[in-house]
Amino acid sequence: MGAAFVVTLREAFEASLILGIVYGYLEKVGARDGYRYVTWGGTVGLLLSVVMGIAVTFLSGPLLDLGPDIITVVVIFAAVGLLTWHAWWMQQHARLMKGQVQHRIDEARAGNRLWIVGLIAFTGVFREGAETVLFLWGIMAQAEGAAGWSSVIGGVAGVVAAAAIGWAIFHGGRHISLSRFFAITTAFIMLLAAGLFATGVGRLQGLGVLPLSDPVWNTSWILSDKSVAGGFLSGLIGYRSQPTVPELCVYVAYILVMGIVLFGRRTPAGIPLADPTQP
Amino acid sequence: MKWIAVGVGALVLGALLGTALPVSAQSAPEIPLVIEKNRFQPDVIKVKAGQSFVLVITNKDKGPEELDMQQPRIEKVIPGGKTVRLKMPALKPGKYPFVGEYHSETAKATIIAE
Repeated sequence: MGAAFVVTLREAFEASLILGIVYGYLEKVGARDGYRYVTWGGTVGLLLSVVMGIAVTFLSGPLLDLGPDIITVVVIFAAVGLLTWHAWWMQQHARLMKGQVQHRIDEARAGNRLWIVGLIAFTGVFREGAETVLFLWGIMAQAEGAAGWSSVIGGVAGVVAAAAIGWAIFHGGRHISLSRFFAITTAFIMLLAAGLFATGVGRLQGLGVLPLSDPVWNTSWILSDKSVAGGFLSGLIGYRSQPTVPELCVYVAYILVMGIVLFGRRTPAGIPLADPTQP
Repeated sequence: MKWIAVGVGALVLGALLGTALPVSAQSAPEIPLVIEKNRFQPDVIKVKAGQSFVLVITNKDKGPEELDMQQPRIEKVIPGGKTVRLKMPALKPGKYPFVGEYHSETAKATIIAE
């Protein structure tokens, strides 16, 4: 039960983190009617995860050998691109979103970009979704006796716990000011995207597309990627117990470049932004 | 336009992955690996260092398993009752442990490149 709980909690954590942030963002800018984009994105991500879980059991040959890997890598890099765009956009528009609620909604709609938030929800759920579906399906298929069913319960509880964390992020976000919410989530998204970027590069190395290299360090004896804490840190800041040189390089480079782009420019004379949510 | 750009990007990446891998997979030795009762057989696999190879993984169990290696980073789902050919990059001499993510208490094995 415990093992299944850890696996699904770890797999679903990143998705719920992303959902919490994007729902929170919509709530914050007063575009609650935009929830449906996120709900649709997440739902389609979940449905496609189930479809892919079913599909791999019917596929065979090169489609099964390579298909899932190609889809995974494409989704990882798409997610990096979308998250980067979202972070950049939030930073660009944060200072414009000082007016009334309607003004903020108009801003959020500028450039028809609410659907991007929906796409972010989709990639967030779909990335680990198929694996989680297969895992749950597997333990259900093999569930025999009390121990088997306790695994199923553990696995479902892991997903529920991850969802609760996402909800807590969303709920917590409601109580902080708009500018602080933007600053915190932009930083989170930047770290998350840097970690995803490194993961994508690591996967390309594993696939033989990029040359292999030794890990720069190995901290798996202190904090394994597979533990609950390691999984959380992996989702939050892209923690890796055995990063390779290219993984580490793209991680650091992404944070440096995005950090300068996103946080390098200050408002004139460092005057804090006026915040409409605070009287 | 955005959609077209995203679509083209995905196709290019897919084509790169699709063409790069099978070509170099030719003439690579094949090494069988069986998953049964949530364990890998054999659990120690010796390979030649510096030479890529193909793990031909057959899952004899009902449920799926995911081969998960930390370094190099490899995650590969093997559905129940299926055989998956996993092309492995040329490894330096050393030990490369991996687990079956879905049954990590029992499914443990190591590739030794020498």
